[in-house]
Amino acid sequence: MVAVPFAYRRAESFEEAVSLLAEHGEDAKLLAGGQSLVAMMNLRLARPTLLVDLNPIGSPPPSVVGGQVRIPALTRHKTLADPRASFGAPLLSVAARHVGNVRVRARGTIGGSLAHADPTAELAAACLALGGTVSVLGPGGTRELLVDELLVPYSTTALEPDEVITGVTVPVHVAGRTGFGFHEMVRRSSDLAIVAVAAHVELAEAGGTIATARVAVAGVGERVVLAPAELTEGLRGMPAGEADAEGLGRALAAGLRPSGDVHASGEYRRRLVSVLTRRALGDALGRTPTREVAA
Amino acid sequence: MSPTGEGEENTVARAEPMRLTLQVNGTVHDVIAEPSDTLLDVLHDRLGLGEVRYGCGEGVCGTCTVLLDGEPVSACLMLALQAEGRELTTLSGLVALGGEPGAEMHPLQECFLEEGALQCGFCTPGLVLAAYSLVERVGGEPSEEEIRYELVGNLCRCTGYTKVVQAVRRYAGSKAGPK
Amino acid sequence: MTLTPDVVAPEHLPVEAMDVVGRRLVHHDFVEKVKGSLAYAADWQLPGMLFGRVVRAQVPSARLVSIDVEAARGVPGVAAVLTAADVPHNSIVEVASGGLGEAEVPMPVLAGERVRYVGEPIAVIAATSLQAADEAAELVTVDYEDLPGVYDVDAALESGAPLVHESGNVLVNWRIACGDVAAGFGEAEEIVEAEYRSQRVEHAYLEPEAGVAYIDNGVLTLRVATQVIEHAGTIARILNLPMNRVRVIATYMGGGFGGKEDMTVEPYIALLAWYTRRPVKMVWDRQESLVASTKRHPFVMRYRTGVKRDGTITAWEADIVGDAGAYPCLSPRVLFAAAACACGPYRVPNAAITAKAVFTNQVPTSAFRGFGAMQVTLAYEGQMDLVAERLGLSAAEVRERNFVAKGDLLPTGELLETAVHVSDTLRVALAEAGEPPRPSSPGLLTGRGVACNRQPYGRTRWFRDRASAWMTLEADGTLLIRSGITDLGGGQAASLCQIAAEVLGVPLEAISVHIGDSALNPPAGGTYATRQLYMSGNAALKAATELKDQLAPVAAEMLDIAVGDVSFRNGRVGLDEPSAPFLTVPELVAACSARGVSTTVLSTFEAPSASFDPRSGQGSTFPDYTYGTHVADVEIDRETGEVRVLRYVACHDVGRAINPLRVEGQVQGGVMQGLGYALTEEIVIEDGVPQSMLFADYLVPTALDFPDVEVCLIESGEGKGPLGARGIGEPAIGPVAAAIAAAVHQAVGLHPLRTPMTPERVLALIDQADGGRATAGAGPTSTTKKEQEKT
Repeated sequence: MVAVPFAYRRAESFEEAVSLLAEHGEDAKLLAGGQSLVAMMNLRLARPTLLVDLNPIGSPPPSVVGGQVRIPALTRHKTLADPRASFGAPLLSVAARHVGNVRVRARGTIGGSLAHADPTAELAAACLALGGTVSVLGPGGTRELLVDELLVPYSTTALEPDEVITGVTVPVHVAGRTGFGFHEMVRRSSDLAIVAVAAHVELAEAGGTIATARVAVAGVGERVVLAPAELTEGLRGMPAGEADAEGLGRALAAGLRPSGDVHASGEYRRRLVSVLTRRALGDALGRTPTREVAA
Repeated sequence: MSPTGEGEENTVARAEPMRLTLQVNGTVHDVIAEPSDTLLDVLHDRLGLGEVRYGCGEGVCGTCTVLLDGEPVSACLMLALQAEGRELTTLSGLVALGGEPGAEMHPLQECFLEEGALQCGFCTPGLVLAAYSLVERVGGEPSEEEIRYELVGNLCRCTGYTKVVQAVRRYAGSKAGPK
Repeated sequence: MTLTPDVVAPEHLPVEAMDVVGRRLVHHDFVEKVKGSLAYAADWQLPGMLFGRVVRAQVPSARLVSIDVEAARGVPGVAAVLTAADVPHNSIVEVASGGLGEAEVPMPVLAGERVRYVGEPIAVIAATSLQAADEAAELVTVDYEDLPGVYDVDAALESGAPLVHESGNVLVNWRIACGDVAAGFGEAEEIVEAEYRSQRVEHAYLEPEAGVAYIDNGVLTLRVATQVIEHAGTIARILNLPMNRVRVIATYMGGGFGGKEDMTVEPYIALLAWYTRRPVKMVWDRQESLVASTKRHPFVMRYRTGVKRDGTITAWEADIVGDAGAYPCLSPRVLFAAAACACGPYRVPNAAITAKAVFTNQVPTSAFRGFGAMQVTLAYEGQMDLVAERLGLSAAEVRERNFVAKGDLLPTGELLETAVHVSDTLRVALAEAGEPPRPSSPGLLTGRGVACNRQPYGRTRWFRDRASAWMTLEADGTLLIRSGITDLGGGQAASLCQIAAEVLGVPLEAISVHIGDSALNPPAGGTYATRQLYMSGNAALKAATELKDQLAPVAAEMLDIAVGDVSFRNGRVGLDEPSAPFLTVPELVAACSARGVSTTVLSTFEAPSASFDPRSGQGSTFPDYTYGTHVADVEIDRETGEVRVLRYVACHDVGRAINPLRVEGQVQGGVMQGLGYALTEEIVIEDGVPQSMLFADYLVPTALDFPDVEVCLIESGEGKGPLGARGIGEPAIGPVAAAIAAAVHQAVGLHPLRTPMTPERVLALIDQADGGRATAGAGPTSTTKKEQEKT
């Protein structure tokens, strides 16, 4: 099978992309890394009439401003996953190392991944756990959305048809103050997650009590989800050593009703949520890791 | 789902063939391509580079791997138009990047031969290019784990990966020189 | 390659060294492949070539009320849209076992009245571009009237089940029996029984099905990725053409594994080229291949084994049911191999074995490396593990007690004529594996599994198999080999060169081999059933030897030595002494030419034939077997059920390794494919509907999933192939799932009865074992015959 014919335009700026989207409506699609979109087009599962190629816009490297890491939307996964990279968000690095294969990481972008909103996406889980936000440009200007607000069920987003994600912002990692964990179960190396859990903990001060804790889970339904606040807020004010990661994992799993597919049943996924949450949150609470990921 | 008809009045959205210049293995090619032509279509069908192969169209199998400015990408997931102005390397161009003058193949290919790291050969171009890119990037001897992590997207169904990993280690070792 | 002399008895040590055979050589095909310059089936373009596409059924069981192709025909660029009415002879009748037992059920080239599985071809299109062909395919409208279908073998065998074919849902029912089973079970002191289930899997060769058809000088010619050029005859019949007007040229394949043994694109490109009179190329989409190409049979295997307390087998019952899908293809043969190998490499005095192939409304299953003899390994080795557990014996002890030996009778009543070194393979593999694994953390369970197998090579003897090879020494001393052999990627052509080089002393670089052409090559039979080294290898050995014998008298006369003293080595013909005078090969060829002695020979190797009686279940089956043992060490996450393979050792008696480099590759590749079968791969179909068509969802193992495969070869020199070789193409996949199952059993305490052993299923076993342990103190413990998983 080959793609249904379409027209192609290069955007030299996000503004130009937005105006092309505004002009062509819902049949136009943005092309970032293309690692999901082009595959779907090859299989005729997606049939845009116009592709607006964002790649000419290019991407400056991630930067740290005022305690926040700002990651341009067209940042490739390989940039995040690079073991030598230190741009201040190691949880994103760990998650990016789990994304696809070397070719997917060479082309895929964080903005494209969030816009594609796959319910098994590792990067979305990491962004959610970090409490990240996205900057979105539309005809009326820029707006900021929590990643949690961006993602809506069934592989869609809160983006309007003429909006584009221009960047992602997450808090900077502070050794001794913030901790993270990422655990994933796949049926085969490099594949989409059966379940992935990202956890992020911030202490009020080094060695102090928990200020915030977030857990995000991929692979359990229609979108990547954040553990309900009533579960994670219970950890606030607690010394890290006393937090009950296992209990939280169980409670989180109990509240989810993941569906099954050819790779795993919903019930099995629920058990994984419990186990992987304990492991990820345990990592986040126990240390401020900088470990390399065994893929 | 005919492309003709509703797009008629909208000239911008018509799928017009476009002229593009591709630089492949050091040679410049002028090609007329439709927007929907993938890089794989153009390299394999138009430029006759048989070593860039269709295997799945999903970016999963790795048989269409080419180097784009030195890094492996799936030619089935890139539009040919996107490769304009970039340096493309396919397997037949590899010998120019490190073979002895007049050599038939690159030293990494020699290592694949010596280790017997192939059977049907269909996956071999992708594996060789991915391995080459890794060794270039690491600049030394990658660990077995690094090699396996790098090659995870290049499926081999005939010979497993034991001899492939051996071949890559042998090449990286010989490149790094005697210890 | 490793050999451990202190483990293997001296008489089993390697056969004597040779000049070319037995060396780790790189052949012509390797060089082209590593350069990327070898042309596969899809790499072929001709002027005016059209692109073909198959339109396939979307429902599993229906009456085809009507097909409307008018809109499709109207798409610009479309040259032909053909349906059943356009097929001159729309019926393929495979009588796969040669008519010994199966029902004769025809398969249409294009379904006309009835659709029997999702993916069944109903129309074919040729167009000037793939875009046009795809667009036309979407415009073909089909009106279906749904019919009840059957989607698993249990349902298909129920009385009153909907019929896939009017002749009934049972395609074939083999029976093999010996001794007195009732008496054998009476004699037994322990009986173990279990039901094992295996899944449907895909070959997933990296090269999708592909070919080009064109008319060349009035001959319909196909250049196609096929294991079997003899399909030319079938294609001729479909088109009502004389058989000598269809020519099939097999390209070097990007893998086959049995999946290119039945026809794939052939009938469709043949039809389209014949109707349009233009070249037509067709490459199946990967997703199309996943849905519609043949698969490995899922088996249900009910086994019952009686043993003495010392482990000696007294009786063996096996009831095997294979899911044939909607059409026969090669199912009768596959299920025969299952029956013939149902007892594995064990001596069974009293046996009752049945093996049925049953139709369902699903994609047809057919040949796949291991061919029925592979699926049963899970069951017979599972039985041995259950026996060992019941009796408190080690895996090795219970096997050693029952291994067959040369001179034994199989349940079919036939004699094992060649060496059986399965016990040596067991000892070598265990010695190589060394210390068993220990858990590296409390959350992990570890286990070691051992599994042995007996896999046939060569076609069943009643087929009176034969293969020819044609060799010509050219004036410049180069050798031309012609053979109808097809090459899947396993070096089938290369092995012929290596054998000829050994016999004729011609350097490998001076040999050119022309293969896979039904018009220009002498017939070699297809490449399947691990038969080519045996058949064409012997044909090549025979041709080379006869050619040598034809030339030796000329050399003897010229050198004035005895004919018997003429040696052909390293390009020199003469006495085998460094200082003796000699002729070069060109000199010898020139001398032959001057004397009118031909330097070309066409030879045919005929396999010994014999018969099998399907009523009594007695008679002769396969020419010979290859034996082996695999050892797998695993580590299991007790919370997720994930199985990590830590170590894998495979040992086979290959008779003689023609090229150890290639043999190791075959074993490593077979093991890797077996690991996918054991742990990750499955084509899931629910109520006849495939649940995923993405390659991303079909879990072929990657470089990161499994460790190195360590290969140990034993060379008994007693195979029936050339120079004592045994086939190794299929055997190496056989023991893998069983070895993993045994390792999981040891780690968890319960035996997995179902493949693939997904993390979820392994976790269920762990739960079950934990539950068993939790309740063990509550009441009397009883060891039931079925304490295993029943999911």
